[in-house]
Amino acid sequence: MTKLAQWLWGLALLGSTWAALTTGALGLELPSSCREVLWPLPAYLLVSAGCYALGTVGYRVATFHDCEDAARELQSQIQEARADLARRGMRF
Amino acid sequence: MATGTDQVVGLGLVAVSLIIFTYYTAWVILLPFIDSQHVIHKYFLPRAYAVAIPLAAGLMLLLFVGLFITYVMLKNQKVTKKVQ
Repeated sequence: MTKLAQWLWGLALLGSTWAALTTGALGLELPSSCREVLWPLPAYLLVSAGCYALGTVGYRVATFHDCEDAARELQSQIQEARADLARRGMRF
Repeated sequence: MATGTDQVVGLGLVAVSLIIFTYYTAWVILLPFIDSQHVIHKYFLPRAYAVAIPLAAGLMLLLFVGLFITYVMLKNQKVTKKVQ
């Protein structure tokens, strides 16, 4: 089974469970506070996934290993190359 | 380690995501189990907004992405026409 099929299968399973529980199709008498938590669950999972993605991106931006010396060296080499090519007649 | 603005922006994003996650978790998961007379309910909107606001935000995001793609495609078309 492909990854896509696996994901769709999992989503379909969870989605049908949630739908069955929220609409009371299974005839279970859940306490009202549980029902209150249950019905916004898909929205909650989406928002949590979004927050996790945002937080991970932010964390990796903050802890990225810069190489300042290499960056400076590269910039000076770029300047050198531009000056050289301009001298030989290339127009930027 | 990243420096300067990179660190500030990164940590800012982490902070924002944590704040949103905590508030939303308290709203959706914790509030139904707290007695309805408790003062904390004053700090949260009615429950329907817990689904309405993320839904509206998601639609706005899709709208923005669609508009951006349209803009880029039109600009590309105009450039091609000018070259011709």
